[in-house]
Amino acid sequence: MELVLLSITNGLIQGGFFALFAVGLVLIFGVMGVVNFAHGELVMVGAYTIWLVHAQHGLAYIPALILAILLVTIIGLLMERFLFRPTRNDPLAGLICSIGVLFVLQVAATLVGGEGPSKQVPPPFHGTLVLFDFLRIPYQRLFGLGISALALGALWYFLTRTRFGWALRAVALDRDAAALQGININQISMIAIGVGAALAGLAGGLMAPLTNINPHMGHNVIITAFIVTIVGGVGSLSGAVYAAIIYALFHTFITVYFGGTVATICGLILMVLVLIVRPTGIMGVRVSE
Amino acid sequence: MNRIVTGKLKKILGGLVLLVALLVLPHLLEFHHQDLLIFLTINVLVVSSYRLVTLTGEWSLIHAVMMGVGGYTATLLFKNFELGMWFTLPLAGIVAAMVAGLLCFPLFRMTQFYFLIGSFAAGEAIRLCWIEFVNPFGGTGGLSGVEPPLIGDIDFLEPVPYFYLTLAVVSLCLLILYRIEKSRIGLTLHSVHWKAPLAESVGVDTWRYRALAFIIGSFFVGIAGGLKVHYLGTITPNQFGVGFMVFILIWVIVGGYNRFYGPIIGVVVLTLFDESIRSFDEIRPAIYGAVLILSILFLPMGLESLAARIRHWIGRASAAAGSRMTDG
Amino acid sequence: MSFSRRDILRASIAGAFAAGASTLPTRLLAANKTVKIGMNIPMTGDYAPWGLPGLYGCEIVANDINAAGGVKIGGDSYNIELVAYDHGYDTEKAVQGYKKLVLQDKVKMVMMLGGSTVASVLPWAERRKMLTTTLLPSDITPDSNYLIATCESHPLYNVTGVEYLAEKFPQAKTAAIVTNNDAEYGLQSAATYKAAFEVAGIDVIDVNLHGFDITDFAPIVSSVLAKKPDIFCMATSFYVTPLMEQLYHQGYKGKIISCTLDYYDEIIAKTSREFVDGTIFQFPDFDDPMLNQPGVNFPNPGDFDAKFRKAHPNDWSAVSWEYPAILLNWIEGAKAAGSVEPTAVLKALKSAKNPEFVFGEGQWWGSQLWGQDNAVVGRWPVVVVEGGKARIKEYRSVSGWLAKNKNVLIKHMKELGLRTV
Repeated sequence: MELVLLSITNGLIQGGFFALFAVGLVLIFGVMGVVNFAHGELVMVGAYTIWLVHAQHGLAYIPALILAILLVTIIGLLMERFLFRPTRNDPLAGLICSIGVLFVLQVAATLVGGEGPSKQVPPPFHGTLVLFDFLRIPYQRLFGLGISALALGALWYFLTRTRFGWALRAVALDRDAAALQGININQISMIAIGVGAALAGLAGGLMAPLTNINPHMGHNVIITAFIVTIVGGVGSLSGAVYAAIIYALFHTFITVYFGGTVATICGLILMVLVLIVRPTGIMGVRVSE
Repeated sequence: MNRIVTGKLKKILGGLVLLVALLVLPHLLEFHHQDLLIFLTINVLVVSSYRLVTLTGEWSLIHAVMMGVGGYTATLLFKNFELGMWFTLPLAGIVAAMVAGLLCFPLFRMTQFYFLIGSFAAGEAIRLCWIEFVNPFGGTGGLSGVEPPLIGDIDFLEPVPYFYLTLAVVSLCLLILYRIEKSRIGLTLHSVHWKAPLAESVGVDTWRYRALAFIIGSFFVGIAGGLKVHYLGTITPNQFGVGFMVFILIWVIVGGYNRFYGPIIGVVVLTLFDESIRSFDEIRPAIYGAVLILSILFLPMGLESLAARIRHWIGRASAAAGSRMTDG
Repeated sequence: MSFSRRDILRASIAGAFAAGASTLPTRLLAANKTVKIGMNIPMTGDYAPWGLPGLYGCEIVANDINAAGGVKIGGDSYNIELVAYDHGYDTEKAVQGYKKLVLQDKVKMVMMLGGSTVASVLPWAERRKMLTTTLLPSDITPDSNYLIATCESHPLYNVTGVEYLAEKFPQAKTAAIVTNNDAEYGLQSAATYKAAFEVAGIDVIDVNLHGFDITDFAPIVSSVLAKKPDIFCMATSFYVTPLMEQLYHQGYKGKIISCTLDYYDEIIAKTSREFVDGTIFQFPDFDDPMLNQPGVNFPNPGDFDAKFRKAHPNDWSAVSWEYPAILLNWIEGAKAAGSVEPTAVLKALKSAKNPEFVFGEGQWWGSQLWGQDNAVVGRWPVVVVEGGKARIKEYRSVSGWLAKNKNVLIKHMKELGLRTV
C-alpha cells in the first residue's frame, strides 16, 4: 500500500514535467502544423544551461532557470524564423529541418559539456518532506511540481483570457480563416514556438537537478512527448495535460512492477493502439492534413 | 533505328565500364576504405529499398529497424542452426517482410503525420525489445560470432572477396527493384502517390499497394541487414536506431527521390563527404544536420536534379555542336 | 619471470618517478627503437569514463618510462608510443579502429575495454595473431587464443566485497541487487553477487534489472526498498549516482555495496558525507597507503595518483590505473620473451604458472567458465568510503573463493542465461 501511494506521488510529479514539454510540442504542432523533432533537445539545452551557469559557475538557481528559459526561447524563435517559416507549406520539410537542429544541438551540448559521464547538478533545495512516516518527497521535486503547475496555469490564462491566446487558438483551428480575419500568421507562429520552447526550457531547468544530464537525454523526452501528444489528442492542450498525468502514472506503475524498458514499450504500443482506434486521441480535434 | 541502337549500346558500354571500375576499385584502396566500400554498397541497397516505400508518398521511420530485423534473423539462424549465408540472407529478407506484413494492419490505418509517428513508435518498440530481452537478443551488447562463408580457400572475412559477394547480391536486388518500379506495379504505386482518389476511383486498392511497397521494401532492407551482420560479425540494437534512420533520410532527401538513382547518388556523395570530414569527428552530426537543413531549404529536389540539369546542358551543348557540324 | 628482472623494472620506473619527470618527455634517447602500443577504446560517448582515463594513465606511465631511457627488451632499448583510437563504443568503429591499429600503425598489442566491441574484433585478432587485452574476462571464448585479461577480473572480484561485508556485518541477512539489464556488465555482476551472497549465507530477496536512458529512478528504488533489504547491492550499474541519490531521499539506512563508485565526491555533494560513508566497493584511489605494501606491482602509486589528478582533475575513474597496469604487465612479458612480437609475448606471459599482476601473484583462470585460462585472478582490494574518502580495508583472495565455490558461480551464471562452457 505504501508502495502504491509512493508510486502515485512519483507519477504525479513526473506528470508535471511530461505535461510541460508535451504541451509545448502540441502548441507548435497545433499552430504551425510542424512536428518539432528537436523538442527533446530544447529540454536538454535547458538542463545544460543550469549545469553550466549554476553548477559550474555558481549563478543562483532561479536566475539560472530564467536564463535557461530565455536561451531556449531564442533558439525556438530562430528555428521558426529561418526553418519553419520558409517551409510553412511543406510540413515534412519542416520536420526534416528540425531533425537537423536536433543534431546540431546535440553536438553543441557535447562541445559545451565535454565528453565523459552524465553531468550532475546538486539540488539547490535540500531536504525531504516526510508525510505519514513513509511518504518521502524531496523538496526539489515538490518545487518542480509546483512550478510546472504554475506555468501550466499561466498558459491556460494566456490562451483563454488574452487576445494573443485567442489568436493562437484561432490559427490552430483554421489557419486560412484566421488569416482572413487579419491575424498575422507569422507573428502568431513566433508566439507559439516562443511559448512552446519556453516551456521546454523550463522543463529542462526543473529536471536538471533531478536527472542525468547528457547529450542524449532528449531521446526519451521526445518519445514521451509523442506518446502523450498522441494519446491526449493532437491539437488539444488540455488533452495533453490529462494524458501527461495518466501516462506518467501508467509508466511509473509499470516501471515499479516490470521495469522501465517494458514500461516504455507498453507506452509505445499504447500510442500505436490509440493511433489505430482513435487517432484524434482522448480530446483531440481533427487536424486537416 | 541507328539512334536507338547507339542509345542502347551506350547504356551497355556505360554499364560495362562501371562494372569493371567496381571490380578493380577495391584493389586500389586501403583496407580501411575497402571496409567503407562494403558498407557503402550495402547502404545503396538500403536507400533503394527505402525509395520503393516512399513511392507511395508515405515516409516511414521504421526502415532502419527493418534492417535490424533482417540482421537479427540472420544472426539467430546462424548461431542457433548454423545455417550458411545462402540461407540466412533470403530468410532475413522473408522475416523482415513478414514483420512488415503484420505491421501493415495497424500502421496503414494512418496517413501522413500519424503514419510517420506510428511507424516511429512501432520501430522503437521493436528496438526496445531487442534491448530488454537479453535472451535471445543479447540486450544492449547484442550478439556476436556471426561469420561469413568459407568457400574453398577463399576467406570471405577479407574485404575484397566480401565486396564482390556484396556487389553481386546488391546488384541483383537493385535489378529486381528497378524492374518492379518500371512494371505495372510500379506505375500503380506512382498513381497512389500522386492521385490517390483518382486511383481509387478506378478500383485501385490503395491500401494493398502501400502494403506491397512496404513489404517489398522491407524484404530488401532485411537482406541488407543480413549482409551487414555477416561481415561485421556482431549486431547491436544501436546500429538501427534513430541515428541510422536519419542517415537514410538524409541520403534519400539530399540525393533526391524522383528517380531511381537519386538516393544512390545521395548515399555515395554523402559517404565520400563523410570520409573527408573524418577528422572533425566530434562535430560530424552537426555537419550532417547543417547539410540536411541546407539541402531542404535550397536544393529540395535533391542532387539528382543537379545530375539531370548537367545532362541537359551537355545534351544541349552537343546538340549545338552537332548542328554546327552539320552546318559546316 | 625471474625475481631480478621485475625488481630492475620497478627500480628504474621508481627512479624516473622520483626524479620528478614531467608528463611530457624532455628528451628521448635517439638511439632507442619505438614500440607502438594500441588502445582501441571509447574516448567519447557514454562509455568514455571507462576508456579515456585509461589513456591518460598510460600516457603518464609511458612518458615516465621514456624519460628514464626507455625499456630494455631482448637487447634493444625501446620507447613506448601509445596509439589511441576512439570507437565511442560502436562495434563498427571498433573493428575499423582495430584494423587501423594493426595494419596501418603496426602496433604490437591492442588494449581494449571489453564487451561487444571486443567480440567484434576477435575474428581479426585470431587471423592477424594480435595480442589483445580486455578488462572483462567474460569476453574470453574457447576460440579466442589472443585475448587475455591481465588486470581486471570483472565480475569475479566482486566476491571480495561480499565476503568482507558478511564478516564485518553478520546481522545483515537479506540483500537486493539492482543493476542494468545487459549481458556484459550488469548480469555478469549480478550473477557473481548472487553466488557470493549465497556462499555467505545471505538471502537475495530481489534482483531488479533496469534499462538504460532512465530519467527517474524513484519508482525503481521505491519498489526495492518496499521489500526491506538489509543490503542494497548496485552490482555494476551505470547509474550509481542517481540510485544513491534515491536511497538517500527515501531514507535508506542499510548497507550499500557496489562494484564501482565512480565520482563519489559528486555523490556526496548530492547526498551527504554521513550517508556515503560505509559504502563498500572495489576500486581504490591511488594515493591509498595500502598500495605501498609489498606485493603490489605498481611503481609509486601515490606519485601516479598525484600526477593524474594534477593533469586531469576531474577524470579519475576505475580504469585510470588499470590500463597502465596492463601496459606494465605487457612490458614484463616482453622482457621475459626478449621480444615485442605478440606471439612471443603471449607465450611468455602464459608460460608463467603464477603470473604477477597488479595486486601480486595470481593464476591463469577461466577455462571452467569461459573456455580458456586467459584471465589472471589473484587477490583484490576491498574499499570502503570513510570520512568522505575511499580507503582500502583489506585484500581478499578471489582465486581462493573460486577454488572453493566456482560451481555456485557457474550455477548462477547459467540461471541468468549467460554464456558458460
